[in-house]
Amino acid sequence: MIHVRGLTKTYRDLAGDFVALDEISFDAMPGQVYGLLGPNGAGKTTALRILSTVLKPTAGTASVNGFEVSDNPRQVRHQIGFVSTNTAIYDRMTAWEMVQYFGQLYGMEADYLQIQMESLFERFQMNELRNTLGSKMSTGMRQKVNIARAMIHNPPVLIFDEATLGLDILVARQVLSTVEQLRDHGKCIIFSSHIMSEVGRLCDRVAIMNRGKILTEGTLDELAAKHQEDDLEEMFYQLISASEAEHHLSDAQEKTKTAAV
Amino acid sequence: MKWSNVNLIFRREMRDQLRDRRTLFTVVIMPMLLYPLLGMAMLQVAQFMREHPTRIWIMGSENLPAEPALLEGGNISGDWVDAKTAQLIDTEVLDEPTQELEKYIREFRKSDNEQARDLIDQLIQKELKARKYDAAVFFTNPIESPEQTDLLASGSQKATGPDVLVFVDSASDRSRIAGERIASVLGNWKNAWTNQLLAANDVPASINSGIVMETSDVANKVGKRAAAWSKILPFIVMIWCLTGAFYPAIDLCAGEKERGTFETLLSSPAERSEIAIGKLLTVMTFSMATSLLNLISMAITGIMLASKVGAMATFGTPPVHSIGWLLLALVPISALFSAIALAAAAFAQSSKEGQYYLVPLLMFSMPLMMVPMLPGSQLDLGTSLIPVSGLMLLLRHLMEGQYSFAAQFGAPVVLTTLLCCWMAIRWVVHQFNSESVLFRASERFGIGKWLGHIMRERHELPSLGNAILCGLMILVIKFFVSIAATPATDWSSFSLQTVIILVTAVAVPALFMAIMLTRSPRKSLRLRPCTIPAACAAVLAAICLNPLLMWFTALVMTIYPPGPELMALQSSVQTILDGAPSWWAILLVFAVAPAVMEELAYRGFILSGFQSMRNKWHAILLTSLLFGVAHSVIQQTMITSVAGVILGIIAVQTRSLIPCILFHATHNGLTAMIGIVPAETIKSSHLLSQILYTNDGVTFQYGILPGIIMSVIGLALIGWFLRFDHSTAAARSSRQPSRFERWLGKMSE
Repeated sequence: MIHVRGLTKTYRDLAGDFVALDEISFDAMPGQVYGLLGPNGAGKTTALRILSTVLKPTAGTASVNGFEVSDNPRQVRHQIGFVSTNTAIYDRMTAWEMVQYFGQLYGMEADYLQIQMESLFERFQMNELRNTLGSKMSTGMRQKVNIARAMIHNPPVLIFDEATLGLDILVARQVLSTVEQLRDHGKCIIFSSHIMSEVGRLCDRVAIMNRGKILTEGTLDELAAKHQEDDLEEMFYQLISASEAEHHLSDAQEKTKTAAV
Repeated sequence: MKWSNVNLIFRREMRDQLRDRRTLFTVVIMPMLLYPLLGMAMLQVAQFMREHPTRIWIMGSENLPAEPALLEGGNISGDWVDAKTAQLIDTEVLDEPTQELEKYIREFRKSDNEQARDLIDQLIQKELKARKYDAAVFFTNPIESPEQTDLLASGSQKATGPDVLVFVDSASDRSRIAGERIASVLGNWKNAWTNQLLAANDVPASINSGIVMETSDVANKVGKRAAAWSKILPFIVMIWCLTGAFYPAIDLCAGEKERGTFETLLSSPAERSEIAIGKLLTVMTFSMATSLLNLISMAITGIMLASKVGAMATFGTPPVHSIGWLLLALVPISALFSAIALAAAAFAQSSKEGQYYLVPLLMFSMPLMMVPMLPGSQLDLGTSLIPVSGLMLLLRHLMEGQYSFAAQFGAPVVLTTLLCCWMAIRWVVHQFNSESVLFRASERFGIGKWLGHIMRERHELPSLGNAILCGLMILVIKFFVSIAATPATDWSSFSLQTVIILVTAVAVPALFMAIMLTRSPRKSLRLRPCTIPAACAAVLAAICLNPLLMWFTALVMTIYPPGPELMALQSSVQTILDGAPSWWAILLVFAVAPAVMEELAYRGFILSGFQSMRNKWHAILLTSLLFGVAHSVIQQTMITSVAGVILGIIAVQTRSLIPCILFHATHNGLTAMIGIVPAETIKSSHLLSQILYTNDGVTFQYGILPGIIMSVIGLALIGWFLRFDHSTAAARSSRQPSRFERWLGKMSE
């Protein structure tokens, strides 16, 4: 469903070049939740932004449901629903208008759109929010509308980038159970998070990232066997610490070399 | 592009903006309130506004004749002023001036001494301030009664110096008004005195009138109204178009980024271009609405005020056809300003940052809007090609009903405006497609961090920032060096000055930055050997394109004729050239020195930096623009910008500075030589006399046919450069480098 090969992203600004993604590769299949774990700045959001065609890769390939992100961005966007901390809802639109607007952008027929909206509003218990403006909603309500917005066109792939960040436990649990339901319905889900318990509960496969690279990848059992550590949080800590130490060492060596030159 | 998506985005953005109280206030409420409130304030102020009486200090009244009497009982006689003005003049007669003042006046009267006059002025100013007078009048010489004056002898017997001195302080409005009032009184009195003098000498008084002149205004009422409004309305429409576009643009771009809804939209199936156009149409609608509502509110307030204030009644309402033209022009104006505002707003990461861009945008647009309001600015081919200004001038003529005149320049104005709109819209779409703009991480940038970074981690080639910095440094240094330099009067000082400016202001910044900021100064400055065919083609192209560039120069000079200052400068340069020791000295200063120095900076360092954008055409155009701007005269800016494009193509395609230097030096050399080579030399050469012709025997021009043939060959050579594959050329020339190439490589290292 999702195939990523050697995906690289380099930003260039006045401060110089910055490699946000360094040749990452992974596959995610239908009926599977693929977890991306990593500290801040690991490159998770960049990878997911490329998959949702918001960013273009510098090198490498990524295909979603058979469509290449660089060649067919419009088709890719029809295949995915993207929920991120950076995808907010409009303050001056009601929940109904917001979801309807995105349904119309996906080119959905009015009747089908109406049915889908009724179903989603029922499913997420949002009927009392229909005429509430975004600015009047709580964080949890906004995230529900955001997920409904991403699911309106019934995409085969859903991308959740730290979707439970800042949510209270009740809403967070609702989001997680939605993800589980979607997986059970055969959707391919990419789920990035900081919270180990969420990843441990939901993800079928996990990739741990740091400084734009995938440090390790596999099912939770495979990772436990590979790194001889059952506790995901401990495994994460050890891998990231080792990666950081390696980075600082190579950085120091590079600086010494430059100074010598 | 799916127009259904554009429509959806447009409708959503419109609804969003109409639900925003701040936007509604700026676009609807403010214009509705602003003019009525201003009108009310004007009426209120008008009630309190009255003319203040002025105090005049009169000295030397003993010198006044008994008849005609200027003063009556210490006040101005009612014969010289109407009753209303008489009430506004309060005089105080001082028969004896201070001793000091009298001393200076005596001196001044004797010798018309300038120094004495200055001292009098200072003293009077002090006195005016101390005694709280607005103006002073001093009758310095005794003025006889007209009856006692002999008309024929009056001229020869006249005492030296003026008879009446009027002192005003032009820095004070009150003093200026006082001066105007007393001047009118004195004028009337003087006329009466002269008439009495003439009558006493049996000369008809009508002789005093001399040639009677009367001005008749042939404009009809509608024409007058149209002319008055045509100067104001286009400016108001443009200002409100820009203001009305800016706030929605910030909210729709920077505001959305801030609120996090921008990425939501980017992940939707709508293409970036659809999003950009949808938002642009919204901004345009608000821009037009703001402008229209302001016009309507202003018109209603104006009509209401006109009935109350007499002075405004003569101004009247603008004619209907004027409004029609204004509405027609509103569409391209708002499209242009909306696109510029949206592109600027797309760059901003927050609403606060977006608002910082309003001032530069206004500063950039205001001069273009103000030019047509300057007295004497006329619609011609030159002004019609200036964006915004041309449209405003055309609008003025259309509003005044001068259709046949406006029609002559309609096409260039419309084409320029459409071209600008198209470029601005393309810029918006480009901004929306640019990740570096949409996801610009402003928090990562800090001056200290950046400077530290560029010094520590130097790249092989200069960055975009380095290129811009170098271009700006050259402009600033050139400005200060030119200001500091005294105008050259002879060849030696002129040549020395030119070379110093080229070295210090152009070459040194580029060389310094290449060494300090890049790892490979040689590559940054394109100091690479080039193939012999490329070098020969560059020289040949410069020769062949010389007629085309000369014709372009002539065209620019026709459209934008040089002013008297530029003409004087050209003539002084020509005089200096005549004093040059030899033709090779001229070539050295005019061709070789600029070619080497300017190419090092522009096609070397700056173009290398702009090429980091990874779009060679953008790099070439931006470098050419900077190259043009560095030539401070506007006509020269246009010409050098075009030449810069050719040089940019050669530099990018050959990756070497040598062909550029050869092209530049050959072109400059040819242009200079055509101006200085004696006519006999050209006439005696069979080839030159076939190519060049002269009408006046002094200045030579290219013949049409040889010029066209040469231009075609020149353009074909540029085409050859465009297909020039430097990698193949490098492989072909992977022979043993020549001694010159080895020397060049060693020198550049």
